[in-house]
Amino acid sequence: MDNKLNGIELLAALTLIPGPSGCEDMVAAYIKEYLSGIISGVRTDKLGNVIAHMEGEDSSRRLMVCAHMDEVGFMVTEIDDEGNLRFSPVGGIDPRVLCGRRVTIMSKDGSRRINGLISSKPIHLQNADERGKATKVDGMYIDIGADDGDMARHSVSIGDYGTFISDFYLMGENKMKGKAIDDRLGCAVMLDTITAFVREGKKPKYDTYFAFTVREEVGISGANTAAFEIKPDYALILESTAVADIADVPPEGRVAELGAGGVISLVDRATVYDHGFVTWALELAEKRSIAVQVKKFVSGGNDAGAIHRSRAGVKTLALSAPTRYLHTASTVADTRDYTAIAALVRAVCE
Amino acid sequence: MDEIREIINSVTPCMTVSGYEYRSAEVLRDIFAPRFDEVKCDALGSFICTKRCGAENAPNIMLDAHIDEIGMMVREILDGGFLRVVQLGGIDTRIMAASEVWIYGERKIPGVVVSTPPHLAKPGESAKLTPVADLLIDTGYSKDALSKLVRIGTPVGFKTSLMPLLGSQVTGRGFDDKACVSIILRALDMLRDKNLTWDITAVFSTREEVGETGALTASYTLAPDAAIVLDVNFAIQPDVPKRRAGKMGDGPMISLSAVTDRSLTDAIISFAAENGNKLQQTVEPMSTGTNANVVNTTGAGVPVAVVSLPLKNMHTPSEVISLDDAEETATLIAGFIAGGIDKWIRS
Repeated sequence: MDNKLNGIELLAALTLIPGPSGCEDMVAAYIKEYLSGIISGVRTDKLGNVIAHMEGEDSSRRLMVCAHMDEVGFMVTEIDDEGNLRFSPVGGIDPRVLCGRRVTIMSKDGSRRINGLISSKPIHLQNADERGKATKVDGMYIDIGADDGDMARHSVSIGDYGTFISDFYLMGENKMKGKAIDDRLGCAVMLDTITAFVREGKKPKYDTYFAFTVREEVGISGANTAAFEIKPDYALILESTAVADIADVPPEGRVAELGAGGVISLVDRATVYDHGFVTWALELAEKRSIAVQVKKFVSGGNDAGAIHRSRAGVKTLALSAPTRYLHTASTVADTRDYTAIAALVRAVCE
Repeated sequence: MDEIREIINSVTPCMTVSGYEYRSAEVLRDIFAPRFDEVKCDALGSFICTKRCGAENAPNIMLDAHIDEIGMMVREILDGGFLRVVQLGGIDTRIMAASEVWIYGERKIPGVVVSTPPHLAKPGESAKLTPVADLLIDTGYSKDALSKLVRIGTPVGFKTSLMPLLGSQVTGRGFDDKACVSIILRALDMLRDKNLTWDITAVFSTREEVGETGALTASYTLAPDAAIVLDVNFAIQPDVPKRRAGKMGDGPMISLSAVTDRSLTDAIISFAAENGNKLQQTVEPMSTGTNANVVNTTGAGVPVAVVSLPLKNMHTPSEVISLDDAEETATLIAGFIAGGIDKWIRS
């Protein structure tokens, strides 16, 4: 346990692992390896969700805490005779953040990996009505440097996955940049929470199931089945939420502020959260002086959408890291929010 | 290929945003100096590097490649630590949203170009691109802290490093035109111990991207007998008409144009044919889009040829070239100066 990463360093390591929806294998392997030696009873379900169970002081209720392992990415749809790849995004990506991006193209198990570049027609050669307009995904391709189709087919197959290439670094004052902060941040917080309980020799209040889920970005399929099996009474969903606390944006459009703590949602496009759970969590945060904010916009959706509908229903609460430039290669978040979220998760589990 | 890769690796990371090339002058001088008898900087910051052949009254050939790269400059510091910039040179705006930059202030700091949050996008807006002057750059600092590091006029550049693709293709920033600066240095390395009959002046000119002024003034001072301008040119990629581009892997391109001197151009073409050098021809009747446009009418005029390196994704932080093509280009230039230029009959 002593030589395992934690906190922001753990987050950094997790963001660097490629894990687009449907290809979470490598992230799952890292998490399982991390937890081995810390707790037993970690299993993988039929879809690939990794579920870690911690017995509570009180077994009368079940709490599910979850975060998704997958990130937005790409899939190769075609290899043309010139050696260029056509692709489809996996998960919701604004086409405007794709042009010029470096990507890794890999086989599902990660054994075959090559570099690529999302490219399109050079600007100098565009005609008048093309200029000033964003290119659609149809007009883009991935250049891997192949001389022709044959050379490309030696290194890439249709159905191969792709992720952004993006390093992780701290910037400015308390800020951090990386890809897949959505939702490796949630995964890192869960690993930190489990480790802390074990290190302190303590148990969470209730039987707690930590679910590292798959395929959130493509329609929330992993959380469905995890919740079905776990049968929780309560679920705490750890996520990232897109905010617009940038210059020019008026207060009503900002959603939440980086550095002001985890964001609790009342309503989003997939879920109405349990007001009792929400109120309790806000009071808990106040009592323990943990920074927390309420989301000021109805937008987005996450695993809670599937979980709250599971079986006879589950009371859910979403706690998200405010993040700028979500679903791009360069997401920016605040290290203080990581700390605040981890503290509140720990408080909830207690 | 290791030699050309190493030179490209040392030259391209230097910050040379148009107008700010002087900030890398020391590092660049150290790279240039071993290849030349003399390295000077002129009034506009262009590097004038001379290699004398030793013969008296020898004719002079100027090899030009521009040292500057496209970039931006801070125009406003905003609350929340955001910056607004103007572009220096033409940037392909499509790559900007959510891309990363270096801000070269009191110290180098990273920045992220903002992308419109989805919940704020208005219908129809997703088709439009934000002009560079309206973009925001996020530094993660407060306005106060940022104001101590950055001011109006601070240069900003792309933040990408060299990344290999398959085969001999690589991607990186500033290949336009530091790849050709590297090619000239490689050619000089190839000519190190050769007996030459022409003096060579390599001009690593500034400000090509903002008006070609570096080459204009440098060639005025030199008044060379001949010049070869080395710049990048379009390589075939999807949606690029084949007649406007060269094929990556087929070596350098040479321009047939009203701007260039046909006899000098033909001499290079003949040399390549006789010696088995790869060379593709490309037709650019009215403008070459390079420093040749200004070099050829400097002073009393300079016969100029344009030799280019095929390149994909021009004016983005991830331009693509073939190291094989770069090596072939250096071989051609070195070979022509050592053995072909003497046969050139000026028209």
